[in-house]
Amino acid sequence: MSTPARRRLMRDFKRLQEDPPTGVSGAPTDNNIMIWNAVIFGPHDTPFEDGTFKLTIEFTEEYPNKPPTVRFVSKVFHPNVYADGGICLDILQNRWSPTYDVSAILTSIQSLLSDPNPNSPANSTAAQLYKENRREYEKRVKACVEQSFID
Amino acid sequence: MENEQNDNVNRDELIMQQQRDIEREISDTIPLVSEKLPVNCLNAEYIGDAVFTSKIEDLSAKYSHLRRTRPDGNCFFRAFAYAYLEHLISNKEDYDKFRQLGENSKDKLVQLGFPSFTLEDFHETFMEVVKRVDPSTSNPDILSEQLHKIFNDQGYSDYVVVYLRLLTSGKLQEEADFYQNFIEGNFTIEEFRHQEVEPMYKESDHIHIIALCSALGVGVRVEYMDRGEGGTVKAHDFPEGQTPKVFLIYRPGHYDILYPK
Repeated sequence: MSTPARRRLMRDFKRLQEDPPTGVSGAPTDNNIMIWNAVIFGPHDTPFEDGTFKLTIEFTEEYPNKPPTVRFVSKVFHPNVYADGGICLDILQNRWSPTYDVSAILTSIQSLLSDPNPNSPANSTAAQLYKENRREYEKRVKACVEQSFID
Repeated sequence: MENEQNDNVNRDELIMQQQRDIEREISDTIPLVSEKLPVNCLNAEYIGDAVFTSKIEDLSAKYSHLRRTRPDGNCFFRAFAYAYLEHLISNKEDYDKFRQLGENSKDKLVQLGFPSFTLEDFHETFMEVVKRVDPSTSNPDILSEQLHKIFNDQGYSDYVVVYLRLLTSGKLQEEADFYQNFIEGNFTIEEFRHQEVEPMYKESDHIHIIALCSALGVGVRVEYMDRGEGGTVKAHDFPEGQTPKVFLIYRPGHYDILYPK
């Protein structure tokens, strides 16, 4: 059945294939266009470099009027990522705009990796280390980068 | 590592889930836009309330009917779109002008920096709705029925709201220097647009109304009905001095559509 959400997700997918942003990729799962798998490659010149982080994106029929639920499947040590992989990012909550598409969501999460916001922490240890002990923070991040090869 | 992260419960999701439950309850009981109802149906909500009873009487002297909209934060945009398109059904000249303006609006928004890919999706649906009430295609009764059906189809209805929000946001950006004066607090226009205008379900204030009215060149009269003194409703025209084509009633937090006698 074609609904506005499904129609729009087909368009999002087409655009992601035709004009893929650097360092991210995503596609609907085989039998359900409402659930996507995505990968974000750790941005260069950050401790996340070389990491391949897997995510799931779950849409509802209210997309694009409401944001999807985005979650890291790979373990990510980051001030704004919860233990369950949930992401604390304003555009996925109260600053969501229906003009964002999957491509915009993934690139925003990618830049969140480079620029954490330690003032609204989802992982207080990561936030504290990021602010007070950058070397230790980077060590912990690199550990999850290595973990991401195995996952 | 596992343990030290467990105290960080994912609060955002809990809050969002609760919000979704409340929204579901409202959407299950109230249509997006209701049938026409006599104005005095408001009395049932204010039994024994002298202030509102006298204001409803005042309102009934000027207006015969109203249409309720779902209180989901989009009520101003939805009410505005419904009432104006309903006006256009029987005004071919205004319709043609509006359709032209609608066609051109997309390029204008793209020039203002809106992402053309997603904009296109909303614009197409918006124009489809406008075309479906073209006065030259059918008689007003059939078109009104059509309009009512479209606006109670969540997919179409919400896309129209989104597009009006984008037009409003575009106007705020275009005339940022002017609108900056109306913004309270430390918001920049940019922040205000992304936080209070573009997201769905965010309520509208005067600034939204003024920006939308001037973006579309449409006059709106809002009748204010609150607990204030005087026993009469107070009318306010946006923009001032323009003949209103859309009539709305505002009760604190909510807009519905009015029909003048």
